[in-house]
Formats: sequence, C-alpha cells, structure tokens
Amino acid sequence: MLKINWFSPLPPARSGIAQNFATQLLPALTRRHELVLWTDQDQVAPEVQSMARVARYVPAAPPWREINDSTISIYHLGNQPDLHGGIWQVSARQPGLIVLHDLRLHDFFFTYWVHYRKDRPSYLAALERWYGGEGWRAGEAFCRGGISPESMAREFPLTREATRGALGVVTHSSRALAELKETPECPTTVLDHPYVAAGESRYRQWLAARRAAPHPPYRLVVFGYLNRNRRLDAVLEALAGIPEREQFRLDVCGQLWDEGHIRTQIERLGLSALVRLLGFLPEGLVEQKLSTADLAINLRYPSMGEASGSQLQFWDYGLPTLVTRTDWYASLPEETVAFVRPDREVEDIQSHLRAFLVDPAAFRAMGERGRQSLANHDPEKYVDALVNFATKVLRRQPLAAALALAGRIGGDLSTWLHPAASAYLMDRASQEIVTTWRGKTGGQDE
Amino acid sequence: MKVLVVTSGVPFIRGGAEILAENLCQALSSAGHAAELIFIPFKHYPPSRIPDHILACRLLDLTESCGVRIDRMIGLKFPAYLIPHPNKAIWLLHQHRTAYELWDHPIAEDLIHYPDGPVVREAIRQADRELIPEAKTVYAQCRNVADRLRRFCGITVESLYSPPADASLFHSGSSGDYFFFPSRVTGVKRQLLVIEALARCQERTMVRFAGEADSPRELAACVEAIRQLKVEDRVEWLGWISEEQKRELYANCLGVVFPPADEDYGYITLEAMLSSKPVITCSDSGGPLEFVVDRQTGLVADPTPESLARALDTLWAGRRGAVAMGQAGRARYADLKISWDNVVEKLLC
Repeated sequence: MLKINWFSPLPPARSGIAQNFATQLLPALTRRHELVLWTDQDQVAPEVQSMARVARYVPAAPPWREINDSTISIYHLGNQPDLHGGIWQVSARQPGLIVLHDLRLHDFFFTYWVHYRKDRPSYLAALERWYGGEGWRAGEAFCRGGISPESMAREFPLTREATRGALGVVTHSSRALAELKETPECPTTVLDHPYVAAGESRYRQWLAARRAAPHPPYRLVVFGYLNRNRRLDAVLEALAGIPEREQFRLDVCGQLWDEGHIRTQIERLGLSALVRLLGFLPEGLVEQKLSTADLAINLRYPSMGEASGSQLQFWDYGLPTLVTRTDWYASLPEETVAFVRPDREVEDIQSHLRAFLVDPAAFRAMGERGRQSLANHDPEKYVDALVNFATKVLRRQPLAAALALAGRIGGDLSTWLHPAASAYLMDRASQEIVTTWRGKTGGQDE
Repeated sequence: MKVLVVTSGVPFIRGGAEILAENLCQALSSAGHAAELIFIPFKHYPPSRIPDHILACRLLDLTESCGVRIDRMIGLKFPAYLIPHPNKAIWLLHQHRTAYELWDHPIAEDLIHYPDGPVVREAIRQADRELIPEAKTVYAQCRNVADRLRRFCGITVESLYSPPADASLFHSGSSGDYFFFPSRVTGVKRQLLVIEALARCQERTMVRFAGEADSPRELAACVEAIRQLKVEDRVEWLGWISEEQKRELYANCLGVVFPPADEDYGYITLEAMLSSKPVITCSDSGGPLEFVVDRQTGLVADPTPESLARALDTLWAGRRGAVAMGQAGRARYADLKISWDNVVEKLLC
C-alpha cells in the first residue's frame, strides 16, 4: 500500500477532472491505498471528504513536513489556472508523478503568469526556455494580440514546462503525445482514462426510455465545459444549413465561454425553436438528458490533447457521438464514433446528420460498440497501472537530485569560466554524477 | 605507512567525532605511521547542498602527495568517507542520519521540511549503497551504526570500539550531590527531557549540565524550560568546560545522565564507566545501551520525563546502590578490552 499525496481539482469544482475523473477513480484508489487529498479550493464535497483525508495548503508555502510524510505526490495538471495553478506551483518545487489531463498547456501558463501573477517576463522566459528566441518573440506577439490562442497552443504547447523535473508523467493519449513531439524528459506512460460503467440493467432501462420517446424530432446534445474549441458555432451553422433541421432538437448543456455570443448566433441562424441553452446540469438531470438523447456532438478543435471524460459518459449511455479527428479522439476505433474533419466541420456534421436520419439504427449500433469499449477503462486496472508506474518512477528520486546538481554545476561554471575551459570540469563532474547516482539501485533504465 | 584520516564536520561545532578523529591520528602516529587528518567542511542545508558536498568529495584525489603514494585512507564521517581511494578503509562514525532513522524524528528531523527533501534523502542513500562498498575494509564505530547500515543499505559490517581520549586520566572520587550531563546542547541529546524529569522528581535531585549549544535557539529553549518548570535551583549550567574540569565533575558526581535519541556511540557512557559512575540512559538511546546493563551498571528508563524522574530518584535515594553500579561499570569497561592498538590494527590490516 502506498501513501499518496493527491493534488487534484475535487468536486464541487466545475471541471471534468473534478466531476468525472476524480469521482470515478477515487473510490477504487482509496480502497487500496492511503490518500491525502490536498486542495486549495474553498470547498470540497462531503462525499469526497468521506473517502480520504482532505488537507489544505497555501500554494506559496506548502506544508512540506506533512507532504513529505507520504511516499509520492501525484499532481493533476490541466488548462484551468484557477484549479491547477496551486498544484503546478507545488509540482514545480517537489518532483512527483504528473498526470497530464491536457497536453497543450500554453493557455494555462499564459493565464497563470500574465493574468494571475502579472509576470509577463516569467511567461516569456518559459517560452524561451523551450523554443528559444522564436518562442520569446511569439509570446510577445501573442501578448499584443498578433497571434491566436489556438496557434500558440499548437506551436508552443509548453508541455515540457509543466513536466520539468517530474519523476514520471501519465497521459491518457499516446497518439496525442506522439503528435505533440514534446516528450517529457522522464518516463511516461499512457493509461486509459478511468470510467465506471453503469450496470447492464440500468443501461437497458436507458435504451428502453430512448426507444419509447417519439421520433422525430431526434435529440442532439452538446455537453460539458463549452469553450471556443468545442465548435458550437460550427454545430449551429451545420444545423441551420440543412433542410431537415426541423427533425432535430439541440440541447446545449454546460457552462458557455460566451453565452451572449451563442444566443446571438442562435437568433441570427433562426434556430431559436430548435436549440435550448440549459446551462450546467445537476447530476439528476444529466441522467435524464443523456438517457433520452439520440446523438451527442463532442467536438474539439484545437484539442488540448486531452482524453474526454464526457466521451466515456456518452458511451456509457450507448450514445453515438460525433468527434473531431484530432489527437486522442482520432485514436478512437472507427466503429465507435463518427469523425468530423477539422477543416470540413460544417460539411461533415451535416453529412452525419443526414446519415442519421436515413439509418438511426446504424448510429445506435455505433453507440453500443462504444459502450462495449468501456471495459478497457476499468478504474481498478487504472489504479494498478498507476501505482506500478509510481513505484517504478520513485526509483528515479536520486537521479532527480543528481540532475538538479548537474544544473547547478553548469550554472556556476558558466558564470566564471569560458565554455572551452569548463569542458574538462563538466566532464569530470558528469562522470562522478553518473557513477554515484545511476548505479544498479536506481535510474538504470534512463 | 602514509595514512590519511578524512572526516567532515560543521565549522565551529566540536563533538565526540572530532575528538575521535584526532585521537585516531595520534594513535596511528604512536604506532609509527605518518598520519594526517583532513577535515572537509560540511553544510547540510538547504538539502541541495548535500549532493554538492558528495560530488565535491568524489572529485578529490588523495592517492598521492607530491608523487609519494598515500598508502591508506581512513574515512570517518559522511560525506568524507565517500572520497575515492584505491586502498580505503571506512570506520563509519555515522551516516547522514536525517536521511535515515532521523528522517521523521520529532526532535532531529531536518530534510523532511524541504520540498526536495525526499529526492535528496534518496540520493544520499544511493550514494551510500553504491560507494561504501568501494572500501576494502568497513567497520562501524558501534553496533548501533552497524545495525543501521545493514537495515537501510543492506551492508553488513562489524563494530569496532574505541576508547575515549585520555582514558587513563579518568578516575573516581566521592559521590557528590549532583548528576552530571556533559554533552553538546542540542535536540537529539535531550537536555530538555532531563529538565522535564527534574520537575517530576520526588527527591531534590540536582543536575550539572556541561557543553556548548549548537545554536542560541536550542540554548534558549532549555533556559525557558528551566524557568517555566521552576527548577532554577536544581540546575547548574556550566557551558564549556576544560577536559580536566570534566574529569573532576565525572569523578565526584553521583551518576551520569545520558539519555540521547538513538546515539551512535557516545563517549560519555565510556567516560562514566572509567570514572566508576552509574549511567542513566533511555531505552531508545542507541549506543549507550551497548554498554549500560540495566540495574547492574546503570538504569535504563523509558524516554519519558516520568520514567527518567523515577530513575534519578532511585539513584539519589539509594547511594550505596549507585556506587556499586559505578564499580560494576568500571569492571565491565575492563572486560571489553577497548584500545587504540586494536583499532589501528583493524583499520590498517
């Protein structure tokens, strides 16, 4: 049994990590390991507090004595600075295992440094550290409004800034990490995002409810934390552009990045009778909404490289889903989702909607196959794999200290010795560091 | 033989380890060898300084001096014992203990308070596991240190006891009205525990503390405890004393109090035995337990003020028993056959 520091957004925080990932995984994890749930949130849901001890920390001055009572710290990082800023501050000071819920973290670092900390030089320094002068100049241009956030996330994702000094990194998408070409400088592993599927009898009830509902109209649903990259503009445009639109109703469930803009769009496109904005749904209404929906639209572009907890939830309800062919989504089996190409969004959405009207059963079968694939996402398997990986990367602790030492040596020599002259010293120091800390008791696979 | 004794220490801090290093050099010289002491300064905070010091030691070359081979290097303390040498002996005084059993010790913990504490702890442990076996000969200064090396690093070595400095000068006098506690004033030596015990004694016991404080903060904590517990009239705070004064205080005390937390060796126990004085120690005091036989050469109390107070009261009220225990301690010292000749022979073989 490991004693683990768990730094993560927790319910009731409005994030997929808090609402889906944590609630799905923590029961399995706390059954077999001792967890301390560290938080800087104002509130933590009572059901979470009943699972493990909740400890509070101030990011600027974490209680290291108490933190160091555990065997390892596991940090969950994503693109919400209000929820991940404190976690990143701790992870940057103490090497641990980092779970990357988003791979493109430029938005996080920009908002954290420039908006929250009012420290543009640190933001630019991070870009320069990983992308040289080009990164620094792009950051300057971005601050002036000359480059889009999507472009910055794509070209300068700052993934390695988040994983700097980590003992190990967990992602939920091997394809996204490979495409990113920002491999962390430590061991990485890919785990299937955990999900507890509902029991078969309950699933059958949902199917019966869906079949019993009068069709048409068919119910489309967009769900979750709805930022610009969820492509709601394209969805609305696609729906408005097909003559068969009256056969659909679209429910938009979740927090919108700009509700005024979406309302204007709905009105402009004449969709007021077909589209409803329902906001953030309480848990009870989620079940009602998903069990009676016919098709989910779960687009991301650009994706931040994340695995989608929402997608697993759609599959749990046997819902066929439209997804963007990008990053993690692109790695999903062809027979379990319908793909939308990023550069042909409206055209592909319309094509899928028409196909749905022609053969709804084929789409229902797609949802069924998606549900079957949830077997790969068993939280118990996730816990096993996570703990095995954590145990393995713990052996890298001496190496982390050695790498920090190597950095100090390089830093010191560069201040007083010409690079040509420092080569011998660097070489001797490197040899000794390797001899001492890369022996048979640790770090041997580096 | 040309022999280098290498050790490390904190500037301005002098304790048993420093004395032992000097005595070893003297013993080597007396045995006809050319011996010199190399002292590596050590600063243990912040934790990142510790790998720095390890590397600094690893980069030293002590194989020759002006073209003349140095036949043997004897390493004593961390990280000096990690200095490489083809003909190295380690006489392990102690490892960096806050990376081991003192990691989360309520009094002595240190590394655990830092964000990089865990990785530095593992770096220290790995350096020890990898590099201690480089030595041709490894001894521990006592069984407690040997046990710890085996438990944490899987390295089995024998213990090798050494006598205190000027062992022949210790003598026995009268049994005075005080207990003697000579030691550096610092958390692990537990002066505070003794002060708390004094406040709980039924008898009007008296303790004379001797030794300098590691830091003003630790001294202030003791002074404050004495004031709060209202035991000012039962404590004498001597500070630094000369070796001669120390021997006199040993000679004329009723008994010696030495209750440290997991002490590695502790000359104080041996000096008390040489002075024919009983030793009060604690069940978790480590090194002293290798020498103190409970109720024969001293008393072993639980590490609580109450238990320690009972032990102090027992000797205070039973002076004849205290004298007998002291004499038994002196006889036991003789039986152990602790000598520098033996140490030199083992370390050079």
